[in-house]
Amino acid sequence: MQAPGIAGSAQPKLAGGVRLQTDSKTGNGVLLFPEGVLELNETAQDIVSRCDGRTVGEIIQTLAEEYDVDPEMLRADVQETLGDLQHRKLIELV
Amino acid sequence: MIAPRPYALLAEITYRCPLHCPYCSNPTQTGNDQELTTDEWTRVIREAAALGVLQIGFSGGEPLARRDLPDLVRAARQANLYTNLITSGIGLDDDRLGALRDAGLDSVQLSFQSDNTDLADEIAGSRAHRHKLDAAAKIRAVRIPLSLNFVIHRRNIDRLPQMIALAESLQAERVELANVQFYGWAFLNRAALLPTREQVVRAREIATAAKTRLAGKIDIFYVLPDYYEKRPKPCLAGWGQRYLTVNPIGEVLPCPTASSAIPDLRFENIRSRALDWIWRESESFNRFRGTEWMPEPCRSCPQREIDFGGCRCQAALLTGNAATTDPVCELSPNRARVDAVLRELNSLGDNALDWTYRVNPKVVTVSETAVSARR
Repeated sequence: MQAPGIAGSAQPKLAGGVRLQTDSKTGNGVLLFPEGVLELNETAQDIVSRCDGRTVGEIIQTLAEEYDVDPEMLRADVQETLGDLQHRKLIELV
Repeated sequence: MIAPRPYALLAEITYRCPLHCPYCSNPTQTGNDQELTTDEWTRVIREAAALGVLQIGFSGGEPLARRDLPDLVRAARQANLYTNLITSGIGLDDDRLGALRDAGLDSVQLSFQSDNTDLADEIAGSRAHRHKLDAAAKIRAVRIPLSLNFVIHRRNIDRLPQMIALAESLQAERVELANVQFYGWAFLNRAALLPTREQVVRAREIATAAKTRLAGKIDIFYVLPDYYEKRPKPCLAGWGQRYLTVNPIGEVLPCPTASSAIPDLRFENIRSRALDWIWRESESFNRFRGTEWMPEPCRSCPQREIDFGGCRCQAALLTGNAATTDPVCELSPNRARVDAVLRELNSLGDNALDWTYRVNPKVVTVSETAVSARR
């Protein structure tokens, strides 16, 4: 399912009060927020760690280069992940 | 049994509190032991982080009653923990809020007794409401995420729409409308606090409508009084699974109410044991861990890994046996006890009973002054 309406030009960033850090127990990324913890899988961690002012399009492009795949193959995954995080109010789109 | 990894520590740093809410879940009787020192708490925090804990909630009592709160927040941030302050807001002036923010405080959960000043002050047994409104504005001004927690009961549940309106006007990110759960002082005052069935049904409708209306703006959580549920709450996501509590005198508890609700369980103290050992090896943490301890009907129930048999403290309080199914469950052989409470309560009509206000424990404090009593 593709999340509707996340434009390639949108700039996702962590919402206020949300922190990304590495879990010393697992080595994986975790998002920490008031009264909650979200453990990220590798792809989600790769996406969230790039929510630093880059646009969605740029994030897709960077990841495509790193994974050495066609950006089109990543687009749906990235949009779905961002849509899910936005729904949980863990990221905001600027 | 192999212990899982805990995610959150509730640090009850003092039982002292300037408020006297009759629904407080603190023990009604506490010993005369000394509160943990700053150094002892710092050690607890480091040991908790090493165990895997990622979140810490500073609670009480009123945590602001301890002068060293910013030091403890700083220690928690140094240990990479996400820091929440669970407070009445009393004593949160600009200096203290600035010190907490500089120490790295991540979020605040502020309690309210009502939207209405007179009623709120009557419930708190203290002129606290105006200070809370001030505190909320100050927290907003320094841009720390703010959750509001309204504790709901028979005397304020009919004002749910006004409480939601207050949360909107204070621009909270998150609102908990949590019906009282019956432990500590609340258990003592149950007959005065438990809402009627009619009130509960109406409140649920109001909360559901507000949740829809405010979606994307404020997250609203409505917690039912579980006596009206058919199945028990999945208390703490299971005993000794994800959470631990350290109380003001250093006892390490699977649940904050366990020390008073389950008197036959011996709880280890951080002053004599390492946290890691207590979490993994102690009898108190292992007694109800997993499903082995369960009697019927839990043992063969398809829900056993979903609700974990409900709440051990509630089972102990209502039946005298912590190792039995939470009597809230419709399958429990003891459900009739809950129904009897509800029947009696609902027959009272509009005649609300009086409650007993919480009083402060006689805890010995070292090199500490209670700052909050002046307000």
